Amino acid sequence: MIKKILIIDDDKIFSKILRDGLIAGGEGKYEVIAAFDGEEGFDVAIREKPDLIMLDMMMPKVTGIEFLRRYRKEESGKDTPVIVETQLSDLEKMSEGVELGVRGYIIKSDYSLDTILRQVEDILK
Amino acid sequence: MVPRELLPIIVVLITLYLVVIAFSYWGVHRIKRGVYAKDTEIKRRLYELAILKEIADRTVYSLNIKKILDVIVGSLNQFLEYSVVSYMLLEPSKVVFKADLERSVSISFIKDIRTRMLGSLSALLGRDLSAVEVEETITGAIMMGVTEEPVRSYFNIPLVIGDQLVGVLTVSHTKAGLYKESEMEILYKIVNQASQAVSKLEDVVKTEQGKIAAMLESMLEGVVMTDLDYRVIAANPAAEAVIGYKGEGVPTIFNFIDAFNESLDIRSKLEEAIKLDKVLTINEVIFNNKYYQVVVSPVKSNIGLTRGQTLGGVIILHDVTHEKEAEKMRNDFTSMIVHELRSPLGNIKKIGEMMRSSKILEDKQASSEYVSMLYESSSSMLDLVNDLLDVAKLEAGKFSVEKSSVDIKEILSERMKFFEATARDAGINMNLIVAEGVPNSVSVDAKRITQVLNNLFSNALIYTLKGGTVTAICFLHKKGQTISDEALAVSAPWVSDSMSLDTTILPDSVVVAVTDTGEGITSENIEKLFNKFTQFASSTRDSEHKGTGLGLVIVKGIIDAHGGVVGVGSKLKSGSTFYFTIPL
Repeated sequence: MIKKILIIDDDKIFSKILRDGLIAGGEGKYEVIAAFDGEEGFDVAIREKPDLIMLDMMMPKVTGIEFLRRYRKEESGKDTPVIVETQLSDLEKMSEGVELGVRGYIIKSDYSLDTILRQVEDILK
Repeated sequence: MVPRELLPIIVVLITLYLVVIAFSYWGVHRIKRGVYAKDTEIKRRLYELAILKEIADRTVYSLNIKKILDVIVGSLNQFLEYSVVSYMLLEPSKVVFKADLERSVSISFIKDIRTRMLGSLSALLGRDLSAVEVEETITGAIMMGVTEEPVRSYFNIPLVIGDQLVGVLTVSHTKAGLYKESEMEILYKIVNQASQAVSKLEDVVKTEQGKIAAMLESMLEGVVMTDLDYRVIAANPAAEAVIGYKGEGVPTIFNFIDAFNESLDIRSKLEEAIKLDKVLTINEVIFNNKYYQVVVSPVKSNIGLTRGQTLGGVIILHDVTHEKEAEKMRNDFTSMIVHELRSPLGNIKKIGEMMRSSKILEDKQASSEYVSMLYESSSSMLDLVNDLLDVAKLEAGKFSVEKSSVDIKEILSERMKFFEATARDAGINMNLIVAEGVPNSVSVDAKRITQVLNNLFSNALIYTLKGGTVTAICFLHKKGQTISDEALAVSAPWVSDSMSLDTTILPDSVVVAVTDTGEGITSENIEKLFNKFTQFASSTRDSEHKGTGLGLVIVKGIIDAHGGVVGVGSKLKSGSTFYFTIPL
């Protein structure tokens, strides 16, 4: 069964690399869609009901945390696994992320596609 | 033989001689007596002076009237004869009576002088004191029931300090005929001097207390002083303001304990400071949405016998909210810069990885996509680094411009053309209005002015929605006119200045402006536009044009270096005008 992954990130380049990497590495297992800010991401998430969300924390308009707070109140968003993309320096601010059911982290400046693929695979198993 | 007729003469002469001798003897005696009297007088004076000095020395450092009187009473027997010396002092709720017995007297003697003293105090005050409690202390010789000698001599001196009657001093004797008013001069003097010393000291203390009170009142820090039982002795208005105390009089320690309830255990901190005798500094006490640095310290006496003893504690409440905010702003700025630098760098690395490992290079379209991504990431990093370097130069005061004669209208239309493509893609119209009379040659740094225009155009395009218009305007400003009037005169779209700049005082200049029909900026945010730490970018900036907000800081720096000014006018939901002037 093909799993749907939603990437919410305002960094279009990062988003594209991640998407290409997931598609290539997933060998047809994943369908990857993208949204470029928290607001758009919220609408797409509600509409598309993804199996996993890769969420950037630092975004204009609606930040990652704000997105999560809103999304977790929705019926379809209650249990959807979320992997957060963040900076090492912001990790300490992530305690709220744990409460909001974040399943994994990607340190943005130092990520490896293999690790991400393994993480995604684990969660979607 | 002496002739008879000479006899009377001899008798007269002898008589005269005797008289002269008698007179001279009497005269010498008189002189002697005078000298003796004078000598005694001088001795007495010297003695008086010595006593006055001694008493003055002993009293000058003592403020306590009781102590001063004890000193006087203790030294009085050296020059005055009495059975009993006593004083009576008025205190708020009672009268203090102290008698020092030089020799034994009867109980009724003491009772008698006590009644007399109370009587004279009442008379002096014009108030009946018979019902007031009297605290009695008898020292010196013992009282004896057997000697029933009554008070035969008695002298009373009122004690006045700073125009106020505080008590009476009395000497009394079982012998009659002592203490004539004239003889009591020394006693008056002693008492007078002591009173003056006390009055002076009281003045000094009042002045000092006044100074300290004034200092406390004017301090920005909240200061609360307590005694050893943690009772508040003094709290300044700043301290009352911190806890929002509006009651009458000094707040109690409970006002402070209750107010700081969640944030800080004031009572235990005080206890710790006093018991361990050390100064405690508690940083970052958050209270009522403000940050305080709280210092709790023991208070020690540094005068008199109590020197070195702990008298209580003091709490100093220092509002550090502003410092905290500034610190947060700096940290936010730094972490934003780090984020802005790291993201493209991380992407560049990943692009390389992808191109190396996967089959992207085999796909021509994909590889050209990746190459342009590489280009975009590296140029956005380079732009940021350049911006940071410019700001660093501005801050170091090392920012300089290389001016040459150029046609600023040409630069403007060239930049217009450059941005037209972006505008077309975004569905935004672009207009150029160049008024008559703008000179063909202006002395500017062409590269820097291009940088300024890049910033203004790209900002305008970011904030203008599809279907909107961005207009570039260029006209002349004459001293004495307002720039917005001059703009309207050339029928340029113009949003009046929100920075309340008086443009009439500006010298003749070329004005270059960019007006957009974007969402506008709140006046609150306009103030932050040119501060590198407070750019409002992150919250309002479009996702595609995220940035550090350093652009306008640099724009201002460049225009400042040209001797011009930067102005902004903005109206929410209708648009903004950014302009700069180049003096001619």
